[in-house]
Amino acid sequence: MDDKKEPLSYSLYYLEMSAAEETLKTKEISTPKTAPILNRMLDFISSVRFGVSQLCALVVLSMIGMLIIQQNVQGFDAYYASLTPAEKLVYGSLGFFDIYYAWYFKLLLLTLSLNIILASIDRFPSVWKNYFTKPKLTATRPWLLQQPQKEVLQTVAGDDAAIAERIKSVFEANRLKTRVTSLQDASYGLDAAGQKDFSNISTRTKLVVFGETGRINRLGAYIVHVCLLTLFIGHFVALQTGFDADVRMIPGDATDQIQMIQFDLDKREKFNVQLPFTMTCTDIQQTLIDPRGSIDVTNTLDWRTQIKVDDPEYGSTIADVSMNKPFSYRGYRFFQAQTIPVGNAREIELNLTPEIGGEPLNVKISRLGSTALPDGTTVEYEEFQPDFVLNGDKPDSRSGDYNNPAAILGVTPPGGQRVRVFAMGEGAARNAPMMSAPKAGYKWKLAGYEKSPFAHVLSIKYDPFNGALIAWYFGGFGLIGALGFVFFFSHKRVWALIDPKDSGTEVVFGGNANRNHLGFEEKFNKVVRDAEASL
Amino acid sequence: MAKEIYDSELGRGWRTYIPAIVAIVGAFVMLGLRLQFGESFISDGALMMLALASYIFAALFHLTNLYAPSDMARKIGLWSAVLGVFFNLSSWLVRWDAAYEHEIAIMRESGNMATPWIFRYIPFANLYDLSLAFAFGAGIATLLLARRKSFQVLSAFTLPLAALILTLARFIGNEFIDLPPVLDSYWRPIHVGVASLSYGVALVCFAIAVIYLLKDKVKVEAMAIWSSVFAIAVIASISKFSVFSEFVYRAGLFVPNEAGGKPFSAPFRLDMPYSGAALAFCGLLLVGVIAAFLIYLYRGSESARKVGHVLLKAALIAQIMTVGLLVSQIRSTTDVYPKLQVQLAGDPTQIATAGRAMAERQNLTASEFAAISPMQLEQLGRQYLQANGQKMFLSLNTNPVEIAGLITALAGTFFVMLFAFRTEKLVERLPSLESLDSLMYRTACLAFAGLAMLLITGAIWANESWGRPWGFDSKETGALVAWLTYAAFLHTRIARGWTGRSSAYFAILGFLLVIFTYLGVSYLLPGLHSYA
Repeated sequence: MDDKKEPLSYSLYYLEMSAAEETLKTKEISTPKTAPILNRMLDFISSVRFGVSQLCALVVLSMIGMLIIQQNVQGFDAYYASLTPAEKLVYGSLGFFDIYYAWYFKLLLLTLSLNIILASIDRFPSVWKNYFTKPKLTATRPWLLQQPQKEVLQTVAGDDAAIAERIKSVFEANRLKTRVTSLQDASYGLDAAGQKDFSNISTRTKLVVFGETGRINRLGAYIVHVCLLTLFIGHFVALQTGFDADVRMIPGDATDQIQMIQFDLDKREKFNVQLPFTMTCTDIQQTLIDPRGSIDVTNTLDWRTQIKVDDPEYGSTIADVSMNKPFSYRGYRFFQAQTIPVGNAREIELNLTPEIGGEPLNVKISRLGSTALPDGTTVEYEEFQPDFVLNGDKPDSRSGDYNNPAAILGVTPPGGQRVRVFAMGEGAARNAPMMSAPKAGYKWKLAGYEKSPFAHVLSIKYDPFNGALIAWYFGGFGLIGALGFVFFFSHKRVWALIDPKDSGTEVVFGGNANRNHLGFEEKFNKVVRDAEASL
Repeated sequence: MAKEIYDSELGRGWRTYIPAIVAIVGAFVMLGLRLQFGESFISDGALMMLALASYIFAALFHLTNLYAPSDMARKIGLWSAVLGVFFNLSSWLVRWDAAYEHEIAIMRESGNMATPWIFRYIPFANLYDLSLAFAFGAGIATLLLARRKSFQVLSAFTLPLAALILTLARFIGNEFIDLPPVLDSYWRPIHVGVASLSYGVALVCFAIAVIYLLKDKVKVEAMAIWSSVFAIAVIASISKFSVFSEFVYRAGLFVPNEAGGKPFSAPFRLDMPYSGAALAFCGLLLVGVIAAFLIYLYRGSESARKVGHVLLKAALIAQIMTVGLLVSQIRSTTDVYPKLQVQLAGDPTQIATAGRAMAERQNLTASEFAAISPMQLEQLGRQYLQANGQKMFLSLNTNPVEIAGLITALAGTFFVMLFAFRTEKLVERLPSLESLDSLMYRTACLAFAGLAMLLITGAIWANESWGRPWGFDSKETGALVAWLTYAAFLHTRIARGWTGRSSAYFAILGFLLVIFTYLGVSYLLPGLHSYA
């Protein structure tokens, strides 16, 4: 439809709502220099320009931290050793080896948080007013024709209210929340010479149908910022109130202490931290891809550590800690971190041939366990050496690999003395006939074993206030949801100004959206098409 | 007018999704066939190569359509792109099944009857897998853009980039790795899946930004300067900076993995005769290009412009010949050990350098490391050489980033030359500045949201696995830096009205940081993500 050109006239109008919307722009930092310094400072700190500069600074510092290896990263030692004394001095005094915990980095995060808070506080009232409490329900023709989407329809003269009602139905069918408002449009008439006559003011009442959807999207940025701040604060609380530690778990061992690690350039210091409870390692297990292969990480499906927690306050608890399945207890989170890759056996299978003859026996004994034979002999599984060698009379291992596996047993025959027995595999027994000689009435052979490491290392995160949970689950997921809400939805507004003219009724459509303009263009065109059809 | 736009562009509704639906459904049919036929079905590597060829083919037709508009060329381009995405996703899905069968075979052979859950084998375990998914993300984003006819021309720019990602994947190699237990989590498909899709969208945003600059009449000569700077940076940094310092290019060596699987990188590199000099010559030509075009831009000298274009053509030919020479040398050299011995006899310092690299892998403390004498380092290097020298071999897979970098630099030079050909006609055919700007903003928003999801899911996974949600690991920080750049981009746009060219520059910078996170972090920097 073509826009009809109107004769030039000055339109005086008053709107039911504030005219601020027509000229609403982003708040400019235009505080005069005579304003109090605090005001000027607050304006500056709350400005987007300051925020963007903070983001750029954060980018630069983060890049420095990536390019200069940090002290808690593997490989730092070799890197540090390769630096010249001058580099060590300069980087060290600038805090580059631990930049993410340097005072200026924390200050930067603090000022960024302040910027987010102040910018939000600064802008929120105008957004609330302009889109929620006093939205722009009416619009003039010139304003509508300036909108990114606009269309002018001509229809036969008719009852304005009826036309408004039809347009309202069209808007509602297109899921726009609709309101009809009247606009008092005053204009100067023209005198006989064609000049404007200021004494001749005529006012007309025009109807404006306003439809909108997704208004809440205007608050999206604030929701994003709240989630971001939740993330910052939660993470900060977790850092300040918590610590990281680790503990070695050997089956059978109990401990009420964990080791906190602190890095100081190329030095690592460990401090003992007292726990309010005792942990006993009752089992460790490694699930292998190929049970015949090594206990190397490349042949591993999972590690599992079973611990028993004895707490004077809350009693006993048994828990499993596996890869990606941590265990939480009283603010302490236990994670499966690594193993001590020295071969051991979680369960052994023994083949016992009675010295006096008879059928051989097969028994299985779990680590730290024992079994009783039919004749009353007690067999305790004491120790396992993967690459057995005797150092004097002390069993030892040449390496952590299963080259010469042997189980060390404590055997007590009925009514007899406890003796130490070495159960070895077939090949090893042939090479060490003395050690594999019959003892306690049996010839002992190690028939099989379930491979597992000597010990596991659990890493511990102490987070008494669940700062990490709040930060990353609430703040993090909230941020994702808020960003999705902000970017995948938009606030769409459409106005239809019904202007009765001598030759009929003109309906001027105008609309805008705060984002996804191409998508809004589709919707606007559909609304106009539907309106045209209904008129 | 509105009605016309509506009918011509969008009246078909869901039908505009047909290309994307066909590609995805077809890929799942391929998976079904793989499950049916097993190992005798086409391999994931072959499917990847078909995807690469399809993307290049589609790009060619879209470029043809740009210069000589033809509906036939447009349709062939569109359906070749569909084929590319189909093969790309098929390759990824087939690889999933192949990984499952590979490990199950090992387990069954050893008597292990356990059946780990199927998501353990989802192809998100290493850089090859991520590259496949990254290219798919770019491809599917391109197809979704192509729902509007006027945007189908963008495929001419996005698909070559997707093809470059697949080229990198080809050089990385598709051997299955032993999955570290920490990666066996339901978070891996979520976190890495989001990463690949966000990277794909960022790639499309980058392409749109470049097109915007073209449409906005940024001089092709200015673009040539930037692409030449990139190419020179690549040439300068490969082979441990030896091209410009010693006029030598040394290719990495592999030692076979006795247990099967991916071979190990040896700490030695072998001189490729003439390649270094050829690369240095390319660099020289590119310096000439930069100088000539700078003179043209600042002094308006037409003769400098003509010289610049001649040098640009010469640089392109030189780069093609050099990459060809390098690739053929790497593929044809078999007697590695004798050649290496001759090389080391001429420059024994390389033995100590290798020894140093080996010492760095031993997790020594700083004082222990400092206590190692140069003679001990040399001893380490010699021991390694003695034990493994005979087994060493050359492969295109030893330095995937370097070779892919050279090919990318070559592609950059090529495209700049292409832009210089009938530029006005090309620019006329591109969509309007307003729609490009709007599209750039939308894709940047998607990339921003995607990168936010990547960071959050990564942090939550890290909290479950390592006990700390955020530790400023290199990859975490790299992703954060890219995300912050997009954040700055969006804020300057919203609050400062920085649309148009400023936005385009931001979008380009954001993508370069994404590439640094994707590649640079894995290959250049240590950290917990080193297997990624």
